[in-house]
Amino acid sequence: MSESERVSGEGAEPKEIAEFRLEVRAWMEANRPPDPGFKLPQSFLEVESERQLDFLRAWQRKVYDAGYLGLDWPAEVGGRGDPAKRQRIVGQELARARAPFLVNAIGLQWAGPTILVYGTDAQKKRMLRPILSAEEIWCQGFSEPGAGSDLASATTRAEKQEDGSYRVTGHKVWTTLAHAAKWMILLARTDPSAGKYEGLSFFLFPMDVPGVTVQPLVKMTGEGGFNQVIFDNAPMPADALLGREGQGWDVALTTLLFERGAAEGSGGGQATASGESVRALVSVAQRARRETGFAADDPVFRDRIAQLWIEEEALRLSALRARVPELNADRPQALRLMNKLVYSEYNQRLSELACEMLGPDATLWLGDPCAVDRAEWPRAYMNSFGMTIGGGTSEILRNVIGERVLGLPKTR
Amino acid sequence: MTRIPTNFGFTEEHEMLRQEARRLFAERCPISEVRRLADDALGFDPGLWKELGSLGWAGLATGEQYGGAGLGFLPLALLLEEMGRRLVPSPYLASLLASFAIDAGGSSTQRARWLPEIASGTRIGTLALYEPAGGFEAENVRATAEPAEGGFVLRGQKRFVLAGASADCLVVPCREPSGEVSLFVVDLPARGVTVQGEIGVDPTRRTARVALDGVHVACEARLDGSGAAALERTHARGFVALAAEMVGAADAALVMTRDYAIARKQFGRQIGFFQAVKHPIVDVMIGVELARNHVLGAAAAFDHTPHAAEIPARMAKALASDVFATAVRKGVQLHGGYGFTIDCDMHLYFKRALWSRATLGDGPHHRRRLAAALLDRDAAVAV
Repeated sequence: MSESERVSGEGAEPKEIAEFRLEVRAWMEANRPPDPGFKLPQSFLEVESERQLDFLRAWQRKVYDAGYLGLDWPAEVGGRGDPAKRQRIVGQELARARAPFLVNAIGLQWAGPTILVYGTDAQKKRMLRPILSAEEIWCQGFSEPGAGSDLASATTRAEKQEDGSYRVTGHKVWTTLAHAAKWMILLARTDPSAGKYEGLSFFLFPMDVPGVTVQPLVKMTGEGGFNQVIFDNAPMPADALLGREGQGWDVALTTLLFERGAAEGSGGGQATASGESVRALVSVAQRARRETGFAADDPVFRDRIAQLWIEEEALRLSALRARVPELNADRPQALRLMNKLVYSEYNQRLSELACEMLGPDATLWLGDPCAVDRAEWPRAYMNSFGMTIGGGTSEILRNVIGERVLGLPKTR
Repeated sequence: MTRIPTNFGFTEEHEMLRQEARRLFAERCPISEVRRLADDALGFDPGLWKELGSLGWAGLATGEQYGGAGLGFLPLALLLEEMGRRLVPSPYLASLLASFAIDAGGSSTQRARWLPEIASGTRIGTLALYEPAGGFEAENVRATAEPAEGGFVLRGQKRFVLAGASADCLVVPCREPSGEVSLFVVDLPARGVTVQGEIGVDPTRRTARVALDGVHVACEARLDGSGAAALERTHARGFVALAAEMVGAADAALVMTRDYAIARKQFGRQIGFFQAVKHPIVDVMIGVELARNHVLGAAAAFDHTPHAAEIPARMAKALASDVFATAVRKGVQLHGGYGFTIDCDMHLYFKRALWSRATLGDGPHHRRRLAAALLDRDAAVAV
């Protein structure tokens, strides 16, 4: 297997797709921004400062202006209306070029696709283009202090007023990018007398109204990027409603499918398994000094690196196989529903292994002049929990897969 | 740059074959039949074997010029998965390994001599992989081939020879005085060859010890190509063939465990409700699906990028070995006391997993070589 094959993330492609890939690759090479000289976040989950945000926004804008975002979205809402599903190729090439991530990930990957499914023409027209250009950043108001894995027990209230508008009161947590967001996808209770699931509605909430307080939360890495949001009788217009009143749970489940990479339709984002991670791990192994020689020479570490390589390749193949229905006939939903679970746990083990191989070198933190790779690995390991907890914990996802794919008895 | 097709090269014809295979093995080899054959002296149903031959399945991937169907590796993997699902006791895998070896090492004359009869199922072939000193790679071969008048004299001991007692033709790697390994085809029975059936853990797999005690073979019995290179190619195909079967068997063990977790009640509820039961079953399913990805990927590699198939093949066997082992370990455990009995069918899968993991390299074996390909610049396999 050639190096290029291992990292390309693709099988043999039709000519026009292969040409498009090369075009994007060349563009990334020419336009990938230089190191800004300040610490960049590792993902959209850790954006703290204005200058980080400005830098990342400018990058997404550049990718959009080049015509590489919203490829699969309709042209009348700012997309390119390309039926060929080329967006994933852009994602793979972004990862391959080790380019900065797309900061408006919640808009591109979760909110946008949900709006495309449930939105009115007016909502699509208003909301989607600024998502692609990163002019308007999005956040997600799902989890609450008392409603985490049991999301449907959310109590944040959206109370309908006589004029059809709403007033929102409640408390959302783990709200990534709320400090930068113009909009929030909001799951709120419109009918407390209805059942747990039937009483919920889904809104496109404008963050810049009175009665909204955003308070930063600090992660175990010391980084910010997520928040809690407190709503105190905050006004929300009638046309903020997405779908019907009482349809909120169904809409939220759709968002979760996109969030977990279980459905196609993203406006843009990095590919998950690209072959880049194991390559980075190999680089660590070859530099990590052990008692005798390097980690790359140690049979125990070699075995574990090979195991992760096998898993990374299996994930790459999942992306291909998921698009061949006959090769998924026995469990049509399995690959898509397990994708986020497998990837996030693989990623966690990989960053943990890097730390372990580095030994004491991985105990140096950001700011220490001797920290290997600017403390990327201990930071990546800690941040990896954002992926195994956020968007449905690994445990909840095992329930979802067990119940929906294997037909095991339901937890709820 | 070479790559497999994005759809793995899958066609409607493959889909029909898969459905037909699933139907046939469900009908002809239900678990009651597996149990009957487990106690049978021969260990497989000659009627079913004949039928596989007449369907063209014994030569599915063998080239058409040698009497095969020439369909390629992907449909073969799909077929083997269905055989694994039902634990079909059959000399199929043994004969397949022999045909891989003859195809990899034989001249066109040699291929024309042996492959058609194997492809039609008229003769059962096998490949002698192991020796008492262990290992199955070319460097482990200690059996010798001394030149003699009109040919060679073979001496040595082989173990774990699949379908050894049923085989009509044995491909056997031996070392020549030059130090090179060559592959010899020995038509059985032959003077000097003693075949003694082994008593195996897995009653659905029959193996034998084969003693070569001064076996005279003709010059033409030595396959023309380099034995080491032919073995390497044969092994790689063997890894994926066995892995395909293992994925099917692991899937069946998974489904059996899932069904039990739904049927069995304790504490007033189905035990599959409890996450201590539910989550391990999900993890097994994930493992099965990932291993299936590798089997399909490696099969497509043989069909489309054969020079770059060794790494995918090793990945497939490594992952399938671990996944099948986990599937049956959880399978027995989650069936509780019943799972520990001979009445529960799980033990048949458990024993098959023990055999399959140990044969043609387990996870650590293949990961050692994968690590070399990934980490060592001078590794034989280019990454």
